[in-house]
Amino acid sequence: MDAAVLDTTRTFVEVTEIWIPDGDRLVQAGGNYGSHGEFEAISGMESFAKGEGLPGKAWLEERPVVLKEFDGSYFKRTEAARAAGLTSAVAIPVFADTTLKAVLVLLCADDDVRTGAIEVWAEKDGLLMLEDGYYGAAKHFEWVSQHTHFPRGQGLPGGVWAANTPMLMRDLGSGYKFIRADSAGRAGLTTGLGMPVPVPGNRAYVLTLLSARGTPIARRFELWDARTAKVGTSGQAVLIDGICAHEGPLWNEDNPRRIGAWQGLVGKALGSGLPAVEHGRPSIVHGYDTMVALPIYQGDAVAHVVAWYC
Amino acid sequence: MQKLVIIGAGMASGRLLEHLFELDPDAFDVTLFNAEPRGNYNRIMLSPVLSGEKSYEEIITHDEDWYARNNVACRFGEHVTKIDRERKVVVGENGEVPYDKLVIATGSAPFIIPVEGRNLPGVVTYRDLDDTNAMIEASGKPGAKAVVIGGGLLGLEAAAGLRLRGMDVSVIHLSGHLMERQLDEAAGYLLKRDLERRGIKVHCNSSTAAILGDDRVEGVLLEDDTAFQADLVVMAVGIRPETRLAVDAGLEVARGVSITPQMQTLNDPDVYAVGECVDLDGMLFGLVAPLYDQAKVLAENLLGGEATFVPKDLATKLKVTGIDLYSAGDFSAEDREEIVLRDAAAAVYKRLVLKDNRLIGAVMYGDTADGAWFFDLVKNGADISEMRETLIFGQAYQGGTPLDPMAAVAALPDDAEICGCNGVCKGKIVNAITEKGLTGLDDVRAHTKASASCGACTGLVEQLMSLTLGDAFSPAAVQPMCGCTDLGHDDVRRLILAKELKSIDAVMQELEWKTSCGCAKCRPALNYYLVCDWPDEYADDYQSRFINERVHANVQKDGTYSVVPRMWGGVTSSKELRAIADVVDKFNIPTVKCTGGQRIDMLGIRKEDLPAVWADLGEAGFVSGHAYAKGLRTVKTCVGNDWCRFGTQDSTGLGIRLEKFMWGSWTPAKVKLAVSGCPRNCAEATCKDVGVICVDSGFEIHFAGAAGLEIKGTEVLCQVRTEDEALEYIVALTQMYREQARYLERIYKWAKRIGYDEVRRQIVDDPERRRHFFDRFVFSQKFAQVDPWSERVSGKDKHEFRPMAIVPKEAAE
Repeated sequence: MDAAVLDTTRTFVEVTEIWIPDGDRLVQAGGNYGSHGEFEAISGMESFAKGEGLPGKAWLEERPVVLKEFDGSYFKRTEAARAAGLTSAVAIPVFADTTLKAVLVLLCADDDVRTGAIEVWAEKDGLLMLEDGYYGAAKHFEWVSQHTHFPRGQGLPGGVWAANTPMLMRDLGSGYKFIRADSAGRAGLTTGLGMPVPVPGNRAYVLTLLSARGTPIARRFELWDARTAKVGTSGQAVLIDGICAHEGPLWNEDNPRRIGAWQGLVGKALGSGLPAVEHGRPSIVHGYDTMVALPIYQGDAVAHVVAWYC
Repeated sequence: MQKLVIIGAGMASGRLLEHLFELDPDAFDVTLFNAEPRGNYNRIMLSPVLSGEKSYEEIITHDEDWYARNNVACRFGEHVTKIDRERKVVVGENGEVPYDKLVIATGSAPFIIPVEGRNLPGVVTYRDLDDTNAMIEASGKPGAKAVVIGGGLLGLEAAAGLRLRGMDVSVIHLSGHLMERQLDEAAGYLLKRDLERRGIKVHCNSSTAAILGDDRVEGVLLEDDTAFQADLVVMAVGIRPETRLAVDAGLEVARGVSITPQMQTLNDPDVYAVGECVDLDGMLFGLVAPLYDQAKVLAENLLGGEATFVPKDLATKLKVTGIDLYSAGDFSAEDREEIVLRDAAAAVYKRLVLKDNRLIGAVMYGDTADGAWFFDLVKNGADISEMRETLIFGQAYQGGTPLDPMAAVAALPDDAEICGCNGVCKGKIVNAITEKGLTGLDDVRAHTKASASCGACTGLVEQLMSLTLGDAFSPAAVQPMCGCTDLGHDDVRRLILAKELKSIDAVMQELEWKTSCGCAKCRPALNYYLVCDWPDEYADDYQSRFINERVHANVQKDGTYSVVPRMWGGVTSSKELRAIADVVDKFNIPTVKCTGGQRIDMLGIRKEDLPAVWADLGEAGFVSGHAYAKGLRTVKTCVGNDWCRFGTQDSTGLGIRLEKFMWGSWTPAKVKLAVSGCPRNCAEATCKDVGVICVDSGFEIHFAGAAGLEIKGTEVLCQVRTEDEALEYIVALTQMYREQARYLERIYKWAKRIGYDEVRRQIVDDPERRRHFFDRFVFSQKFAQVDPWSERVSGKDKHEFRPMAIVPKEAAE
């Protein structure tokens, strides 16, 4: 599969961490720091008040936040991040209605090789505009994206916005001849995961993770639907789409896979309503070292879980 | 080993091969022809490939390895030119292949509307991967526009896919609502709304006249002369079985290749057919489930079995991400009962169709979790009488305690938002009730603003009041419009405006109607309210009108009709009278009579003659007199100061002016006017809905009279000095009545209900308001003053006037 290239040297996202509210502060609740043990140790001692640091800013402003320059910014762990070679980060708040459940932070390392995109799109005057994004070496694609907007229903961001559901797009560059496709193809971007980021109020945000062959964000993606409109009151989730470097297509129109709450790592995200990050555990799907499961709420209920594996 | 040749590598034959190899992998030496240069792939997943949500590689069902492993000789990309049944060979472009058994699996071909321009480059159908790739290619042009003809499953999936690809997409659909074969109007409304939210423009009731363009497609022209620009036109209006090879081979073919329930052709025991190309007792098959059943039956029978294919009820899903719909069984049967559940906030609609305590059909939109369970109940014919009360809530609620809405409200936390419009939470409402001693809904509205805007939370607020006050709360008794809703006429009118509801389907969904399509009480009322409130946007639904308004004449006790042409102010001429006389003679009209409103009524006209009668009257300058309408009927006048010694003003002139200004307007009930030239009141203005008594100093305006089942003299509205003022006041009063009265409520009842002084306050004491009423009436007349007779003469609604079949008297007896 296009997203399934196994000769990866380094992944696009170096560190994934979860911060959850504890009283009036955000405290660390797991993560995958890979080889960045020192950054992990320092992060474990850290906590953030509302408005403090990157996670606190996402909490205060109730929106996903992209930070591409740590030096001189509100980022609190700049020294440790620099030592680990981390240069950029995206904080994604997880809200159940108006209650913050967690903040998921993705940290990336910049170099001339790694290509991918983590984008935050926000609604403005009836269109989705790029709020900000991190693109690694895909500078031309970054420029194109900055000069692109999406009406409802168009492209990955517009499709996610209109359907209010996560979506997985294939062949971003080759078969997909949309506005940014040419540039996406040149950047080697293949698979795109888009998801709504619900926040209090009526503001619409869409997060997209665009994965490239050489430096993928993930090699396996899963979209699980947990809405009562789809699965009733069973508390289960059904796999509506997915693709894997090892197994190929994961979806099955006639007999879709189901999981219950607390069943596996996706079930953990479903049951707890919190993001789950695992690293180096046998419970992760065979062939993968790390996985992230992110719950997406509609109102105060988990509507979907998206999971990605490396 | 026997030789099996299969023509067509679609989903049916693919499944056939799987079953065959599973049952006996060595039974046949298989040759598989396919006109497409590829093997079997999952065609029903082409839509996600089009949208970019799947890749072609993911939907390949059988790859080269699979065919090789099973020793299938693949003749892909090769057309079969002939079946020679005598020699038992299939002739392909690259040579012939002998067979012992032959399976025709040629599928179906898309139906092409026979309109000009259908062969232009850029016009595509939607059947296979090549079509899909052609659409993907076309979507690559920035800003490109696509028109999809056909709002069925395939057309809508194509539209959604092209929209995701970045195209500007319009859907043109012949019927009144989308997917009419699978959905009812209510679900069709929600689907249309969802697609429009994706930026797809949907045009129902639209018929394609031509495809425009010289060298390639440039647009689509509709029958009503509307034109759409298009760089791509997708024709998705249906399919028909591909039978050409079978016909040429002399096999029996009806609409498709005729088969037995054992999948055998009728006149050759060694030739079978499977899939979309077959016709079983007049039935065709376009969905995948019966194709798979057929494949299983055929596999068994090819191996000497005696399996029988039995068609079953089908369920439908639409593959557009984020749209949840499910339809199964029959929902148009007669003598049916229905259970309907709507949740406007969640955009959910569920309808179960019952007959004899059995579920025979289900339509769901927005919540399809129980679709498979309902489908099982349909297929199994289960008796649902024991769970009837809770059936609509789904499987999880069977055998449990019935839902208690009060308990749900009681369980809400204090900060739970009750009124979304004004941001009022439960705690604030409860506090206001207890601290301020509020006992009525209006009091709560006044103090908290809850339920004061769109009113959608009124039920919740009332439940909170009931919870807080107990027996001390007695909700105001509201007479519902009908059994389809708990809302009264006034609430419905208010909510139509507050929520900007602009179609009957929208009203029923957003106000949570309890039936799927309303009834004879609510539909005409809703139609009127929508005509009144959105004159420029709402398309009058004639099927929601009573028979007289549908045919623009009054039905009589013997089934004939009466026709009353308009005579402005009751004034006529020798030319008009001659024309009427000619019509009477020409159509043998048995009775001609003067009416109480100073018009001439022709009675005893056959329905099928109506358009011809109107055509002749139209040539003489007559328009409809609307003697059948909930609208302005007549303006009766006396001769006024032109002729009468006592006349004070030109009453005839004012009457004509009023009638010419106001004709055509729809009102809640009929409206009759009169203008008398002096207080002697020869035009009987003081028992009309609106009357004018002319006096030396001006015009005395009256209203709210009645002279029918009830007799009531008018009330005086005011006195004005000039004709212009009289016109403004009368028009404003009529518009106020149009906007505020309940359907079928005459002016005298409406005015009594709201208070005569309230009418005077709004019309006489508030000039700005009066002017606004007047302006809105004038605006609405731009769309109302169309003579319905001349429209019908030119062919509109001609189905209404087709003669019934003539049954010989003896046969009828």
